Amino acid sequence: MVPLYIICMSRVVVVKYSGNADNKFLDKKQYRRLLETALGKLARDADYKTYIMQRFPKGAVGMKTNCLAAFNPTLSPLIDALSELITKNSKIDNNDLIVWERTNKELKRAGYKLNASSFGRRYLGTDSSGVGYDDSQFYSAGKVDSMVTRILTRMVDHNINLGVLKHHSIAGMSAGMKNMYGAVHNPNKYHGNNCSPFTADINNLEPIKSKHRLTVIDAVRVQYDKGPGFNSKYMGYYNGLVLSENPVAADSVALMILDHLRRENGLPQLAATSQKVKYLEAAEKIGLGTANIKSIDLQVAVVASDGTTSTGDLF
Amino acid sequence: MDRRKFIKCLGCTAAAAAASQTDFLPRALGGLQNAYAFSYTEKLSKVEARFYKKLEEGGIECGLCPRHCRITDLERGYCGVRENRDDVYYTLVYGLPCALNIDPIEKKPLFHFHPGTTAFSLATAGCNVNCKCCQNWDISQSRPEQTKNIDMPPKDVIDICRERKIPTIAYTYSEPVIFYEYMSDIAELGHKHDIKSVMITGGYIEKEPLAELIPRLDAIKVDLKAIRTDYYRDYVDGELQPVLDGLVQMKKAGIWLELVYLVIPTLNDSDAEFKELARWIKTNLGSDVPVHFSRFHPQYLLKNLPMTPEATLQRAHDISKAEGLDFVYLGNLPGHPAESTYCPGCGEILIERRGYRVAPRNLKGNRCGSCDREIPGRF
Ligand code: SF4
Repeated sequence: MVPLYIICMSRVVVVKYSGNADNKFLDKKQYRRLLETALGKLARDADYKTYIMQRFPKGAVGMKTNCLAAFNPTLSPLIDALSELITKNSKIDNNDLIVWERTNKELKRAGYKLNASSFGRRYLGTDSSGVGYDDSQFYSAGKVDSMVTRILTRMVDHNINLGVLKHHSIAGMSAGMKNMYGAVHNPNKYHGNNCSPFTADINNLEPIKSKHRLTVIDAVRVQYDKGPGFNSKYMGYYNGLVLSENPVAADSVALMILDHLRRENGLPQLAATSQKVKYLEAAEKIGLGTANIKSIDLQVAVVASDGTTSTGDLF
Repeated sequence: MDRRKFIKCLGCTAAAAAASQTDFLPRALGGLQNAYAFSYTEKLSKVEARFYKKLEEGGIECGLCPRHCRITDLERGYCGVRENRDDVYYTLVYGLPCALNIDPIEKKPLFHFHPGTTAFSLATAGCNVNCKCCQNWDISQSRPEQTKNIDMPPKDVIDICRERKIPTIAYTYSEPVIFYEYMSDIAELGHKHDIKSVMITGGYIEKEPLAELIPRLDAIKVDLKAIRTDYYRDYVDGELQPVLDGLVQMKKAGIWLELVYLVIPTLNDSDAEFKELARWIKTNLGSDVPVHFSRFHPQYLLKNLPMTPEATLQRAHDISKAEGLDFVYLGNLPGHPAESTYCPGCGEILIERRGYRVAPRNLKGNRCGSCDREIPGRF
């Protein structure tokens, strides 16, 4: 029997792919195996199908990509795999999926074909005609007041944050929470003091917090320094995904991975630099989630190329 | 865009604005678009910014305003209109105004600067502070992708002013400091054609850029939002001291300067603050700097507060006069006697104003027609 304190802890699942010795991009099938395994683990006693059904019962689902760096964006095989899992295991069909970004330009630059039609999986920037920021209300969870994209306030019932793990020269790290800067009209107002408490504040804005269902951080290829712009010289490989319902816990584990890759490459831990990741503590303070690793129920699974899974270590 | 048509349109817009007292420019441009199939551009500029340095650890530091934003690749500064691309910093709004109009100079307000003339007024998106009472927040708090911009290089601005015989260009509405390069180039070109430039600003700018800019300008109006640091932190998201330092620098440089203080009920309207303000101005800038106390209207993030009572504005006026300021005006109170200019020597009315209607009375050049006292300003 699982002790109650474990059930109450925020679960973070790290799922690694062991069959990628030459560090290639993963394809849809490989991402799908990783997702099935990870969602199954998030389901605790159930399986991934039940998890999807319960977490995304019906309605429209948004998927926030991170396409800021055109050469290191959220990848389409991951989106395709996740979309397939959702549509096959819930009442949600492709018409109810909205892959979204701050601008159409960013989506296009990352290789996505826009779809603002009424059919099929939508690919929309907030600047798409008829979308925009919701000017009916300013939201604030701290010092800054913002308009939030109508995709979140009006168009979706659930949101999945599809962040890409990378170094960020201001915040220290961009993983899941930093990705939500793309949901407000004035992200430039949220950059002081290593983006803290601003990253926490953004994720605490009512439409963002209330629609958040899942964080999926792609840590297959991780730029461990000189981010967020793309710089291939600093690309490391972890070959894994980080998933959690708790955005703070997901980022806290992601930070361990980023620091691990930095260590392996002879760089100091972020906490020892001016780019210390400060926003996690701030987020925990306002009750947005768990930043303390000791309070996180961390599950690590390894998927082999033949599809078999086993438990593993973070590093 | 057909520039002739556009110039013609501006005339209509200005007339309409004067008639309706509505001056907000994106709306005016919207009207133009309907009438003349006027086109906007979606492109952003890529003109290298001034006053930044590259950092050893990567990224850049902007030195244009006291924020000194440190920006990494692909990120923007707080103002949202400057972007780092491969550690070169660019302004994205050069030649891309999102607001244009022809305004009376009194509307800036500048009361001692060529009264009764007009100013070609322009703004781009963006601002380096975030005042909770901003009346132009829909452009000042936007990034340039979020506003409708038109392609208007400096030469086009000057051409319009020359054809329409507009003597002055006003950089206004949002915060001109953040479109510094554009403003500076227009102003320089303007001087070659005897067209003056005035900056309507919050004064949140670093010393070096300000020093380089002043010779290109003819007047500056600064919104001094409060005289207390906590107000600047809580309602402006900025710092007071750099603004005060900038004011002293402007005064020392000899440029014509006027101040506006927006009086907001409960936030900056105590007797003590009015006194402190007047004393600071008198000591540091001199008693001859005009001060406009302006009425607040609830908007943007301060919709919970009421409009400023007339009695509060009167109190600000009376305290400032008692402290020895010579030219104290009340704004957004059309018809109030404190809209007009009086000689501090003999009390004679020099310029009578009612809203934007201006009637010279007893001003002879820059002297009082009654007692011959010199009146500061550019007349
Ligand atoms: S001008 Fe803009 S980028 Fe430069 S320091 Fe000021 S807010 Fe930051």
